[in-house]
Amino acid sequence: MTAHSRRLRTDRRQQVLLGAAAGLYAAVGLGVLLMLLVSSGPLLLRVGVWQALLGVHWNPLAGQFGLVPFMSGTLLVTALAILLALPLAMALAVVGARVLRGTGPSLMTRGLTVLAAVPSVIYGWWGLTTVVPVVRRWSGGPGFSLASAGIVLALMILPTLAVLFQDALTRVPPTWQEGSLALGATDDQTLVRLIWPAARANLFRAMLVAVARALGETMAVQMVIGGQTIWQLNLLRPGATLTTQILTDLAVFPPGTAGYRALAVMALLLMAGMYMLVRISERWERTP
Amino acid sequence: MNRRGLTLHRAALGLAGVTGLVYAAMLASLLRDGWPLLSWRFLLGLPRELEAGGGVAPEILNTFSMVMMAMAVIAPLGLAVAVQRVEYGRDVWWTRELDRWSRVFLSVPGIVVGLVAYRVLVAELGWPVSILTGTVALAVLNWPFVAVSAGDALAGVPESLREGSLALGTTRWQTWLFAVLPEALPSLVNGLGLAAARMIGESAALIFTAGVNVSPHWGLAAPGETLAVHLWYIRTEGLMPDATGQAAATGIVLLGLVIALLWASQRLALWLERRH
Repeated sequence: MTAHSRRLRTDRRQQVLLGAAAGLYAAVGLGVLLMLLVSSGPLLLRVGVWQALLGVHWNPLAGQFGLVPFMSGTLLVTALAILLALPLAMALAVVGARVLRGTGPSLMTRGLTVLAAVPSVIYGWWGLTTVVPVVRRWSGGPGFSLASAGIVLALMILPTLAVLFQDALTRVPPTWQEGSLALGATDDQTLVRLIWPAARANLFRAMLVAVARALGETMAVQMVIGGQTIWQLNLLRPGATLTTQILTDLAVFPPGTAGYRALAVMALLLMAGMYMLVRISERWERTP
Repeated sequence: MNRRGLTLHRAALGLAGVTGLVYAAMLASLLRDGWPLLSWRFLLGLPRELEAGGGVAPEILNTFSMVMMAMAVIAPLGLAVAVQRVEYGRDVWWTRELDRWSRVFLSVPGIVVGLVAYRVLVAELGWPVSILTGTVALAVLNWPFVAVSAGDALAGVPESLREGSLALGTTRWQTWLFAVLPEALPSLVNGLGLAAARMIGESAALIFTAGVNVSPHWGLAAPGETLAVHLWYIRTEGLMPDATGQAAATGIVLLGLVIALLWASQRLALWLERRH
């Protein structure tokens, strides 16, 4: 047997091993999805999909599985966090991409990367000791509120968003920017009329990444949101999100109970949200 | 409007400065509350449920052991998936679907993995809420992250390197192992560092799989509260009189670990890049 045919045999063996790893990978992912379906199926079949999704009362012990309070909480908190984080992240990105010179931009990226890796419980701790008391003094309410959750979440997703924004802005070819400046446009005009439109697709996809992080965040939100399950839309009052409700109720409803099945429906909704975000992001992949 | 047209840039600089101050204030309050409690007794002592002066030694040990065990499993497995997809991958419907779901699972909330692991491992297989169960949850949660970041690292290597190697008559495994992998190593190391940092800070997936208490004796079947879970637990349910300070001190240790890890992995990546 020649050396080359031995190597070819190694190649085939390795391909089998790698294929097995990829197969296991797919099986684990499918397994998670299947378990969510199996766990939530009986409840959805009994109560009905729309009744479960559109009910406004959450009282599993009395057979009420309305998920509207949590869906609305998740959407409100995420929207608030994105609205707060967008202008600040853009400011940081503009500074990193267009104001700083020399080693400045890379230092800033490294700092933001560290902030993005700060564990969420630390943001939650800070929310509890600083944000909640401030909101309490402001509004006179309990302080634990959708607004507090939105503020903490905004600070949490801001570093990720800023790094991705900065990357999107620096990807605009410098020759285009020089051309714009040479034609007499000011720096502001170049930014607004050339760089933002040119980076549009990447900026939008960066925002989707931030939305995904905000939708899925659990700990930091749970520590400051108050965990109230009665549906209300006042940002200064307590609420709950899909993730925080799973966290607080998993201890109460062990697997096998109707309550656990309702929590699995919430998990399924979160996965559906993540899937939708990926699909939307794909549509923007090839746009310049 | 400013004549030189820098109004927007100045506003951005101002906003960025304010944002920087907010993060500085956050770090300062963490240090203010936690620094006085940091001592050898805190780092080497056992936690106390009802009185002041507890420590976090078991939590540090649990964090280290769980992250290392999970890493030992998913670093090779994640790299294997990446090599299969990037180096051997075919472009057919099921591989495209696999890539798409990789990206979906990239942002799967930790609590969802916790929910499933709790049912499958604890309720059905009867595993104890323990270090081993938590490690499995950590590995499942972070496998997609390692696979995707390793895939990006491999995809960043120029195609000409592969073509050159294959043109010399090597097989595909020799090509990826000896031509592609050394070139991708720096960004691979960076990705693994980020993955480890993610795991150190993870808590939602661990509360119901590794638990919120510790045992004085380390073991795979012993309860395995980590630093991040400890911080959450004492700040939301802790009964000790110095809970705020304990939480802040735990946060400082946690943050120190994350920063040290990121710094080390970035240095290693830089060193590999220069040596190459």
